[in-house]
Amino acid sequence: MQGTAARQQPRIQDAIGDFARLVAKAFLGGIGVAVAMSLAILALSANVQAATINETKAGTLLLKDATIDGGYAPAPQVATEVAIDVTGMVARTRVTQVFHNPGSEFVEGVYVFPLPEKAAVDRLWMKIGERVIEGRIREKEEARRTYEKAKAEGKKAALVEQQRPNLFTNAIAHIGPNEAIEIRIEYQQALAYDGGTYKLRFPLAVTPRYLRAAAPAIPDEPKAAEAQALEPGETLLEPSYAPEGCGPLNTVDIAVSIDAGVPVGAVTSSYHETVIEKAGGRTMISLVKDQEEANRDFELTWTLAPGATPQAAMFTQTRGDHEYALLMVVPPQPTAAERAAFDRMPRETILIIDTSGSMEGVSMTQAKAALEMALDTLRPSDRFNVLEFNSIMRTWLPSAVPATADNLARARAWVKQLRAGGGTNMAPALRFALDGGETPGYLRQVVFITDGGVGNEDELFKLIVARLGNSRLFTVGIGSAPNGHFMTKAAQYGRGTFTSIGDVKEVQEKMSQLFAKIEAPVLRDVQVRWPDGTPVETFPPRVPDLYLGEPVLVAAAAKAPLGTVVVTGLRGNQPWSVALTPPPDRNAAGVGALWARAKIASLMDTLAQGADVAQVRPQVVNVALEHHLVSAYTSLVAVDVTPSGPAGGVKTAMVKASLPQGYVGGSIPQTDTPATLQLLLGMLALMSAAIVTAIGRRTARIA
Amino acid sequence: MSGRARALRLVALLLALAGTWQVASAGWIHAKAALAQHLIASAWNGARDGGPSRRPWPWADMRPVARLTVPARGIDLYVLDNADGRALAFGPAHVSGTAAPGSPGNAVIVAHRDTHFAFLRHLAVDDEIDVEGARGVIARYRVRDVSVVDKEETRVLEPADAPLLTLITCYPFDALRPGTRLRYVVVADRIA
Repeated sequence: MQGTAARQQPRIQDAIGDFARLVAKAFLGGIGVAVAMSLAILALSANVQAATINETKAGTLLLKDATIDGGYAPAPQVATEVAIDVTGMVARTRVTQVFHNPGSEFVEGVYVFPLPEKAAVDRLWMKIGERVIEGRIREKEEARRTYEKAKAEGKKAALVEQQRPNLFTNAIAHIGPNEAIEIRIEYQQALAYDGGTYKLRFPLAVTPRYLRAAAPAIPDEPKAAEAQALEPGETLLEPSYAPEGCGPLNTVDIAVSIDAGVPVGAVTSSYHETVIEKAGGRTMISLVKDQEEANRDFELTWTLAPGATPQAAMFTQTRGDHEYALLMVVPPQPTAAERAAFDRMPRETILIIDTSGSMEGVSMTQAKAALEMALDTLRPSDRFNVLEFNSIMRTWLPSAVPATADNLARARAWVKQLRAGGGTNMAPALRFALDGGETPGYLRQVVFITDGGVGNEDELFKLIVARLGNSRLFTVGIGSAPNGHFMTKAAQYGRGTFTSIGDVKEVQEKMSQLFAKIEAPVLRDVQVRWPDGTPVETFPPRVPDLYLGEPVLVAAAAKAPLGTVVVTGLRGNQPWSVALTPPPDRNAAGVGALWARAKIASLMDTLAQGADVAQVRPQVVNVALEHHLVSAYTSLVAVDVTPSGPAGGVKTAMVKASLPQGYVGGSIPQTDTPATLQLLLGMLALMSAAIVTAIGRRTARIA
Repeated sequence: MSGRARALRLVALLLALAGTWQVASAGWIHAKAALAQHLIASAWNGARDGGPSRRPWPWADMRPVARLTVPARGIDLYVLDNADGRALAFGPAHVSGTAAPGSPGNAVIVAHRDTHFAFLRHLAVDDEIDVEGARGVIARYRVRDVSVVDKEETRVLEPADAPLLTLITCYPFDALRPGTRLRYVVVADRIA
């Protein structure tokens, strides 16, 4: 027994030793691989750290500065002055910014600035010392050539181009050492209006958001920047900055003057402290001085004093041999008795619900909730039908039926069983709903609930335009990122409205607003009658119905001076009309530009409907040149006559900044796969397996 | 003794299985990406030859809408109409709501950075890209700008008046871990 025990002792010790060695080997092997892997990960993720050039929020003039190793440094701004003049539904904004080059070399700066979607940029001034040079409108290519030529000759020049309908760039060549250049841009914008509230936003994008003195080298991706960057060996500026943390001092001064044409109610500034004064028909709003650095967009909202009858206003502007007019009609707030009368007008409501795969989950819950709310608003005198579509279209009933309690109950049961799945094939549903089969005496409304996940937008727009007839199409966008462009345009072509529901919590509120609105139009069959014999070109060409809370805005142009205009319509079933007389002051700023911007937008819309670019382009260019507007095909360019900078090579780089404009929700799709990681982990496991096998064999041999 | 050997063999076997599984998964991603394009090619050719727009395989929830080629780099890809994660495994996808490829406006196409759009890193300003739309019309684009943006910067998806092509993939290209916030964006103007 003892012998056995003694023999076993060393064997156990051996075994423990073997095992310890084995663990040590495996451990060391593991560490080796882990270290190798970590190094690999570190090396690969270094790129991530270096690639954040777009941290800059927009609207900053940026100068390239190689002394901070590829980091882009914003030029300090001395002052920004914003003056906004509101006339009726139009705001004319004048932005004056003084840029100062604190370096010792001539530079070119590129200034990227966001503007509201419908902004019409029409003026550019460049002030150098005491000289003021006004920008001229040119065809895009010509403007660019003019600018490049001036740059090559060492002249100061500025160029304003439209990148997208709401994004512009301003390039300024040859800002001298220690020189300040004042740039002034003017633009028009139509105000947002809904439910009695006007909203005006100015993107306060002039704040340099960061200084990256210790930034790592810009990696190789911004090729556009590099393509125009410095030649090697060139000397660069070294701008002097306030120490990091202080940042350049940015004074922003905003002054707004409102002349709404009708009495103004409450005025609110959403994020900034303001002083509000009322004098005559005008309301003046200015920023309280000594505020902290303004780094939030300026937002102003105001209401009109409500009236029982529709209020209307007319603004005119004479330019050249044309007179331009802007008519604004604020819908009447119907009394309770009138509401009841409106409600007696029976409706035929066709509800369409998107049940494609992309609606699965929360979107489907929202959409069903929205549908049920829609069914709740129907009265027995109304008619309705429900249809769903994904890859195929399915109707609840082949045609609309009266909204009896029994029918509604059956429709609700049908809605309950709907499931999301399949593709998105919208055309058959739209074709069915817009079949021209309107029942006489009924107001036909098509309510279209979808996330707008379609690719063939243009085809669908054509379909809507061709088949709309007397129906009205209301789009309801569901989900966190509904396709706003499609929805807005579809509603526009469908002469209805677009409602966006981003959150399931909003379904109730937004849907009741929509249905309260479309319960009945406040004003139907709106016609604008001009004095006899005056040929007038208006936008929109056909006035849509007025729903509760919506204003109607018509821009018009005529060769002869405009007289009294009569706007007529049906309020409930009663004829209603209002006469508008042009004001004695026939010089309301911006009216002509707004008309031209509407015409350009309408021409650009025809592209979506299949018009030929070769035909549309010259028309857009004509209008834009005549009205001095920046468009997709025209730019503003200002060139100083005297050369002031070095001719030839320009020591600058173009950097694109990003929009700070609040885009709520949504993101670009994720496009990476775990393939690389899986491959690495897989190889690692296979290697470990090989190591363990080898150890196993050696242990076996030793034994 | 033999118990230890057996334990080691078991560990080795498990490691080998796990390794094979991971490598196969990675391979499957690449295989799907390559194979699907062949199936899609025949669906596309069928559609272009006058047939109806077909699905590449019966249970597919997408169909080809365009063909994207970069002649200088030998790239030939079929673009699908569904940009959700599942469909992206099979090919680049047109982002719904953006303009149709070749039509006025901003047409946005996204694809995986490690398969179909791995070539984007080699695209430079002034490179030319051809996009063949559903009616056989070929639109030619020239790269104007290359940039890296955060995934929330949806301005790159915004509509435009002029005909634009925007190609987007994840950045950096060599990242190990999926789920980056950065996107590599190539913007091209239509020139013909």
